[in-house]
Amino acid sequence: MSDPFPNSQASSLAGVAADPAIGKVLIAEADLAARIRELGQQISVDYGGRTLVLVGILRGSVPFMADLLRAISIPVSVDFLAISSYVGRDSSGVVRLLKDLDHPIAGADVLLVEDIIDTGLTLSYVLRVLRTREPASLSVCTLLNKPRSRLIDQPLRYVGFDVPDDFVVGYGLDFNQRFRNLPFIAALRPDAA
Amino acid sequence: MAISFAHPSEAEFASLLDFYQIRWSYEPRSFPLQHDDAGRAVEQFTPDFYLPDLDLYIELTTLRQSLVTKKNRKLRRLRELFPDVNIKLLYRRDFNNLARKYGLRTAATSDV
Repeated sequence: MSDPFPNSQASSLAGVAADPAIGKVLIAEADLAARIRELGQQISVDYGGRTLVLVGILRGSVPFMADLLRAISIPVSVDFLAISSYVGRDSSGVVRLLKDLDHPIAGADVLLVEDIIDTGLTLSYVLRVLRTREPASLSVCTLLNKPRSRLIDQPLRYVGFDVPDDFVVGYGLDFNQRFRNLPFIAALRPDAA
Repeated sequence: MAISFAHPSEAEFASLLDFYQIRWSYEPRSFPLQHDDAGRAVEQFTPDFYLPDLDLYIELTTLRQSLVTKKNRKLRRLRELFPDVNIKLLYRRDFNNLARKYGLRTAATSDV
């Protein structure tokens, strides 16, 4: 079989990409890059002359944040936060910030950068937290949107791609901490353990 | 007061909502779908969860397909009679995706 990623770092990731848990490639590396350039250009137009802060949620948003940031042509600052996961939740039993923002966002135009919005549970919590910091504006940019899985609707200002209701991995998205380093978005096989 | 859930998947779902600090109540309301000649409700639909902050009902459908068809019919009827009621149906596949994402212990494999 020919190398599906002949001109990219993915050549060295062929072992991961060939993992039997990985199913169909849903969004190729080149398509991700093209769409992220478009998003960066649009954000640069929309936020021109304003104080833009990109806030990423660790860890899944890291690759998207890195590429989106470089596609934005206006002054911008970056911050990250991390929240606890339901998986492996502690005795408090409720979501909490594991890492808060390093800088205040009061009065800033904040764009929350997410890898994927599916149920909206995480997003709902993060927006509630950030609204209390009184930013001038608060919007959401997500690379992937899985509308069929939505429990809690939230307005999404920028969406890279709508994806089907598959469990998706790659480009920051993991399954048990695996596959974040894939340069494309793929479906996880339903029988993957 | 401890709630007696009809299925373990409902308890898991409630736990997930609690984790994200989403307020909920369990089966708080039944919607009459059909009445007899005396005006008594002979068919009802009771969604599993109500999320008051979102004004949203959620029904978990962890049933086998033959029973899902019946539930879908009830849901269509509910939407006809109560168009302002906001309700979402989670099918078995949806719940199993939740189970995989959040590590829920209960996959939707049994019938209720």
